[in-house]
Amino acid sequence: MRDRIQALLSEALPAVDLESDFLFSELDSLSVMIILVVLSKEYDIPLDAQDVTPKNFKTLDSLVKMVEAKLQNN
Amino acid sequence: MTLEQSIKHYASVAPDNVAVVCGTQQTTYKELWAKIEQRCEELRQEGVEPHRPYVFRGSQDTDFLVTYCAVHAIGAIAVPLEAQAPADRFEAISQEVKSCVYDDDIVDILYTTGTTGRSKGVMLSERALVSCADNFIADLGFTSELLFIISGPLNHIASLFKIHPTLTIGGAICVLDGLKDINAFFEVFELPFRKFATFLVPASIRLVMQLAYDKLCAVSDKIDFIETGAAPITHHDMKQLSEALPNARLYNTLGGTEIGAVCTYNFNDGRYMEGCIGRPMKNSTVEVTPEGNIIVSGLTIMSGYVADEESTNRVLKDGKIYGSDLGYIDEDGLIHLKGRQGDVINVGGFKVDPSEVEGAIASHPSVRDSICVADTHPVIGTVLKLLVVMEEGVALDKRSLALHIKSKLEPYKVPTYYEAVPSIQRTYNGKLDRKFYKK
Repeated sequence: MRDRIQALLSEALPAVDLESDFLFSELDSLSVMIILVVLSKEYDIPLDAQDVTPKNFKTLDSLVKMVEAKLQNN
Repeated sequence: MTLEQSIKHYASVAPDNVAVVCGTQQTTYKELWAKIEQRCEELRQEGVEPHRPYVFRGSQDTDFLVTYCAVHAIGAIAVPLEAQAPADRFEAISQEVKSCVYDDDIVDILYTTGTTGRSKGVMLSERALVSCADNFIADLGFTSELLFIISGPLNHIASLFKIHPTLTIGGAICVLDGLKDINAFFEVFELPFRKFATFLVPASIRLVMQLAYDKLCAVSDKIDFIETGAAPITHHDMKQLSEALPNARLYNTLGGTEIGAVCTYNFNDGRYMEGCIGRPMKNSTVEVTPEGNIIVSGLTIMSGYVADEESTNRVLKDGKIYGSDLGYIDEDGLIHLKGRQGDVINVGGFKVDPSEVEGAIASHPSVRDSICVADTHPVIGTVLKLLVVMEEGVALDKRSLALHIKSKLEPYKVPTYYEAVPSIQRTYNGKLDRKFYKK
């Protein structure tokens, strides 16, 4: 799943360093929105403002964890 | 009164009133003025002189405001650049502004892509800033009870020009680092202020409505007004925002670095007229020529461009600004925009000259030719797309191209889409055929 998410997000946000340990600080509001839309569409999971936390968006791995948690809850 | 005179005034008559909220930190007028006085001293020691430019990066916090006001307070000229301004841009602008002599009334130089292309330094007088603040106070209804939330970059006029009216009238500003932490935006409404207002570009309005419509409705009674501008907002988004905030005033404003804020329309009127910018504000006059060109005059307009007499003379004639906006006046006297002349692409309220992007990618070793065009993204709206002719045998690597541009230009100038093409269409004399790609 990590590789798939990395591929999807590199396609959508080519200038963002997805391997950064401070991913949230690299993003602007529109990039955050794009990540939500891309992940929500790919995995058919509901994502909204509540999910946009510095913790969830800290690294690529924390985004993967967020998606996994959502899939389990579904 | 100027911004600095106002802060000094409230530091004396209402010292404990909050002037700035930034994260968990609140700064009163008294504390703010003390910080400004201290920064004045530091600037003097640095050798900053009256009527000379002081270039600095616009951090997204109270410190930006302290520096900006201190520069004015010692009589120097503030030149705030975006926080991410690359080192060579900072250096080039520093050299440009230092090589000029300025009229005594110039207090700000704001760098913008401008109405006609390449990045230019717009010179603004104290009178222009004070009159623009007066326009906002009179026509949008800024009051001393207001907490105005600023989420855009502080050096951008949509943010910078809101600091002036808010603090001139004795209100408070709240500085956020963008809207990516949308929960932080809504937490502001829990602060003990009676009225809240903000400026959001249309893309941010759509973002808030898509991500947090319920939260927006829940704070409806606290929102006095929301202003938008810098890019077109759709009828659908105006209507949806009006339904979420039935009692708020919702303004679509025509503004620009060269003209100030000059025209505004409260679209919470049941009509939600797309493209409408209403009537001229208190200190401004707006005319539309029979050809549809919008001409702005009045107290808020710029004094000219730095070191660019040719561009100044082309745009500023007899005290009037001839920009690239096109429009018309309807039978009720309301002004409507219907597009722009020229090649500038508006990305979420930031104006991008495509030739700057093409210039930045030209030094990439794998790129033979390119053209930057506008495209549509389902969420963001207008975005940049780069069509590239790659060197023979080299595959297009989006990330490599994006990072190359990012190392030379501001982040909003990095295209979202990339496509390899066999050739770029040019006109008979070899220039890029931009019209071909607009079809």
